[in-house]
Amino acid sequence: MINLECASLKGLLECASFSAHEGNSRVVLAETDFDKNLLLRVLTGLTRTDSGKVFIFGKEISSITYAELSEARKKMGVVLNSGGLISNLKVWENLMLPLAYHASLSYNDIEVKMINILNNLGYNDDLNILPGPLPAYKKKLLGLARAFLTEPDLIIYDSIFDGLSSDIRNRALKVVNTFHEEKKGRVSLFLATSEVSVKDIKADSVYVLKKGNFHERN
Amino acid sequence: MATAGKASYKYLRTIEYLYELFSLLFAAFGNLPFLKIRPVRTVFFRQIYFGGIETFGKVIIIGLLIGIVIITQITSLVGLGSAVLTGKILIWVVVRELGPLLAAIIIIARSATAIASELGAMNIENEIENIELMGIDPNRYLIMPRVFALALSAVVLTFYFELAAIFGGIAVTSIFWAVPFEQYSKGMLSSLSIAELSVSLLKSLLFGTAIAAVSCSQGLKVRKSITQIPQATTRATIQSLFLVFIFDGIITFIFFV
Repeated sequence: MINLECASLKGLLECASFSAHEGNSRVVLAETDFDKNLLLRVLTGLTRTDSGKVFIFGKEISSITYAELSEARKKMGVVLNSGGLISNLKVWENLMLPLAYHASLSYNDIEVKMINILNNLGYNDDLNILPGPLPAYKKKLLGLARAFLTEPDLIIYDSIFDGLSSDIRNRALKVVNTFHEEKKGRVSLFLATSEVSVKDIKADSVYVLKKGNFHERN
Repeated sequence: MATAGKASYKYLRTIEYLYELFSLLFAAFGNLPFLKIRPVRTVFFRQIYFGGIETFGKVIIIGLLIGIVIITQITSLVGLGSAVLTGKILIWVVVRELGPLLAAIIIIARSATAIASELGAMNIENEIENIELMGIDPNRYLIMPRVFALALSAVVLTFYFELAAIFGGIAVTSIFWAVPFEQYSKGMLSSLSIAELSVSLLKSLLFGTAIAAVSCSQGLKVRKSITQIPQATTRATIQSLFLVFIFDGIITFIFFV
């Protein structure tokens, strides 16, 4: 579903190989935030590697058109540490955006799904406000809800458990673990910089990105 | 030699920039069918609201005042007895030139700066990349609806600006100088044709499109720092004004010379 073949990028990767296949749940620990963010960009096609190949859903990123890349991203959910919300859209518009854009579901159907996900995450704040003044943890929960709504085949979490209180963390963790199991073949990729932030995540393997390569930890 | 090198560099940069603007507009036209997507339509209507409906009141007030100023100047020049000529000049000045031009200037002041700063801020906050990560093409979702909404708003605002200016002019002369409306209407109707109005609205359509392209392009150029946002809005304003005057000159030359 996602793999790197001898991918090199100055300052980050040196002929590095990594793969996550259907059903995998993997943790990747980077040494710094910079490395983690750059890796996220590589995995999502925002930054191209200097050499080597990056495959998303079987398609090599450097050889596909922008439309094909967008098509691949439709099946991918990215939950950013900041929430990744759009500042000029209200919370409910932010949540509905990808699904309303790509699917032909009615707003009512999307709303039913959205409320259900928000309830599971324990989010009960006003949805009719702009996200700017919301605290960071609420933005993270909203980012999670937005990604869950699209039911992606591949979901990448970017340090989402950092800075959450233990209550909220446990609830979010439970939802994240359940979400992975909900769809057969779904791939979950957890990017982080510290082991503490990925503690209790149900992952089948943990990789450390060090000196330009991925090292699997026993 | 160095001066010649600098001049040719600037010349090449200008050509490159114009190419960028045309590419942006070309992509916007290509993406027009995506207006059927709900979130894209929402951006389009929101832009119509901010760029058109919210500006409407100001356009009407400025239109009325401009009409009053013009009619006062014309009357002081040709006298109260030449109502037909006064009506003709009012139509020519307002419909041919000032209507599209002043409506465009109001749009630049209100919408060009807003679009450039909004897109610039979105770029700084990586929101445009976040949109891409959702599999949404920013050209379809952010640019195309802004271009068409602003072009449409420019046409409608120009039309109402011209109506307000003509009404303002007539109202002043009828109320303060007791000149009957019929006397003006003769001159106006004889000089106001569908072709005249069409050229005026064509101008406004081009102005609106150019303003939108420039402001979107400048907003998207903001990359690194928040201090680039005011620079982008300034450039959007100046370049929009510049293009509007160039287009105005070209169209006037083609249709009225």
